[in-house]
Amino acid sequence: MQKISQNFFDLFGIPESFTVDLELIGEKYRDLQAKFHPDRFAHADEQEKLAAVQQSSYLNEAFDTLVSPIKRAAYILTLHNLDIEHVDQSELGMDLLMEQMQLREALDGLSKDESAMMELSKLKTEVTGKLQQKQQSFSLDIDKGKLSMAKKRFYEMQFLTKLLKEIEINEEQRLGY
Amino acid sequence: MSLLQISEPGFESPVSTHRLAVGIDLGTTNSLVATGCGGRVEILPDLDGEYLLPSVVQYRKGSPPVVGEKAKAAAVADPENTVISVKRLLGKSATEIKNSDTVGRYRLDSSRDEKAPALLTANGSRDPVQVSADILKALIARAEDFLKGKLEGAVITVPAYFNDAQRQQTRDAARLAGLKVLRLLNEPTAAAVAYGLDSKDQGNVVVFDLGGGTFDVSLLSLKKGIFQVLATGGDTALGGDDFDNVLAEWLSLQVFGGKKLDLGEQSKLLHYANQIKHQLSDLESVELSYADWSGRLSHVQFSTLCEDLINRTIKTCRRVLRDASKSVGDIDNIVMVGGATRMPAIRAAVTQYFGKPPLTHIDPDRAVAIGAGVQAEILIGNKAANNFLLLDVNPLSLGIETMGELVEKIIPRNTTIPVARAQEFTTFKDGQTAMKLHVVQGERELVSDCRSLAHFELRGIPPMVAGAAKVRVTFQVDADGLLSVIAEECSTGQTAEIQVKPSYGLDADSIEQMLKLSHEHAHEDMELRALKEAQLEASQLMEAIDAAIEVDGGLLTKEEARVISSAITELKQALDKESSGRIHEQTEKLNKVSSEFAARRMDLHIGKGLRGESIDAVDQSNK
Repeated sequence: MQKISQNFFDLFGIPESFTVDLELIGEKYRDLQAKFHPDRFAHADEQEKLAAVQQSSYLNEAFDTLVSPIKRAAYILTLHNLDIEHVDQSELGMDLLMEQMQLREALDGLSKDESAMMELSKLKTEVTGKLQQKQQSFSLDIDKGKLSMAKKRFYEMQFLTKLLKEIEINEEQRLGY
Repeated sequence: MSLLQISEPGFESPVSTHRLAVGIDLGTTNSLVATGCGGRVEILPDLDGEYLLPSVVQYRKGSPPVVGEKAKAAAVADPENTVISVKRLLGKSATEIKNSDTVGRYRLDSSRDEKAPALLTANGSRDPVQVSADILKALIARAEDFLKGKLEGAVITVPAYFNDAQRQQTRDAARLAGLKVLRLLNEPTAAAVAYGLDSKDQGNVVVFDLGGGTFDVSLLSLKKGIFQVLATGGDTALGGDDFDNVLAEWLSLQVFGGKKLDLGEQSKLLHYANQIKHQLSDLESVELSYADWSGRLSHVQFSTLCEDLINRTIKTCRRVLRDASKSVGDIDNIVMVGGATRMPAIRAAVTQYFGKPPLTHIDPDRAVAIGAGVQAEILIGNKAANNFLLLDVNPLSLGIETMGELVEKIIPRNTTIPVARAQEFTTFKDGQTAMKLHVVQGERELVSDCRSLAHFELRGIPPMVAGAAKVRVTFQVDADGLLSVIAEECSTGQTAEIQVKPSYGLDADSIEQMLKLSHEHAHEDMELRALKEAQLEASQLMEAIDAAIEVDGGLLTKEEARVISSAITELKQALDKESSGRIHEQTEKLNKVSSEFAARRMDLHIGKGLRGESIDAVDQSNK
């Protein structure tokens, strides 16, 4: 098996890029799991079994990262040795913060019952659209090597992704999940 | 006459390279065992031809546990000592058992720890793990009798929604029963395998699994032999039993006007309710008659009584679809599993929600065991895996307790397993050498709303100033859905020692102790069996010789008769001593001293026989 610290893109045999072919990743993932899943080592000794659990876990981690746009973006930035854990307020920019505040106010202002479903759906479409734009910009910035721009786009994506998650939770609360 | 080997039609005798492995569906109400025979997977019947083993165990003083149909029959007459639905007790605290036990069926041993309850029976205190092990032992015996060999491993199914403690206890039960677990397999995944293997289907399948006591829904994506679970959800406290209870409560109101009933009466009423429920699966309405009361119940009335339960199942389906980001239109097939899905009301609700009728062509009681049997055949190496693979998920989020009793999620639910996630922790005080971690499972924000899994204590952290030591803790969930924790101090690379205290059930030492005891008992049991066999053999021989002397005593000289008679006396003395070895020895001796007598009798009788028949007849009989 490939080294456990191997680059996720290399592991799946695809070029390192934000734009990925999800269909292809899925296929490669299934091929690799078919080889390295612990069930393939049911006969092996304890050490081999443990190694299989670790390899298979790593494969799952890699797949999970590559198929999620926000995780993929974060991963690409760390491959460029950028620290994404610690955020400097100045990196975010006033425009981003203002936009976030407006969107959040819109979400909080909705009524707490089912009548808000239409509004939630509209808000969801709006945020999804914005997120897609940021993803495209991120992809371009990375390809052109504009790393600090890409990092800013990443933070914007992170905000919007979190907001989208909150909109979904709001929907679920109103639908009685 | 040479002995004929008798085998069931459809089964081929195992070839030498074939390793014996089974799939076990350890159910709340019934259990099954399946194995691969000649390229197919079949459910193994008991000697009476029954496939379902009722998951009921009766404990009587000083005798081995009674498992299955006999115990089920005893449940009404002897409810105190008969354990039903033990699966519902796995991983539960005493209070939880009491709260869910509305009829007061379970008598708990008050001397036991709140988090590791045991049931009082006529044969002492029994832990739910032990009761489960007794059911497993009955299944192992069935399989080993049938396959004429020792099992090398088993795949045991568990509800997808089982938490870590429930899974761990299922594994412990297998260990106690002396069974090697190849894999714990989620029940809906197993059922999907049973349905998916024959077809080259691609697409999204929902498995709706309503068993006796648990409810699971899984959404799987099938692609080129790989079964990938996208999301799973359920309720480990919802099952066919609950429909019985609702009906029994209604009957109690009709018959006794809500008067409080004793345990015996409740058991009887519950048994009756269960029969009515089964009849309503085939009939529009059923005539009721209980004690001196009579009435009628229609299928529609019954559905109305159970409306809340039915709605709970559909709500879970919605949740699972949402978790997998799928809509009803994305679902290609719905598979029904578990005996309770025979209820027409359930089928109707599922058809309505998904907008298409579910698949029901495999017996809903058997699908899970068949899927487990397939997986067992592959894991033991009897069947080529090709591209076949099951990728499952963890059903509940795993998290740790942080400041303010809040939960920080480390591995969210529906993450494909196996999975490992690492988290870094630091020391809080100068020179701190130990750290405590509380791991919980569940979706809620507060620790008290989640299920406590275990307390981990990390020791041996090198003393440093506060915040300097960095402990990297890796949470690893294996393919069985079981958690283990590894901790390492980053600056020194030293592995921290971890002590695990499971929050529910017994710790490793208690299990070890139980295992030791069971081995001792197994030895006793074996000796007892050897003694019984030796006794039987000896008395059969003595009877035969006595009968022979009566007829042909004249063939013996006085001296020969004395030798035989003294050997019989010695054997009788050995029988009194109750040692199987000694009995064997004396039986052998008697055999030896009487062999000449037996030979003479043979000559005499064959001679007589031949003289009485024509040569032709003898020739014929030899052909």
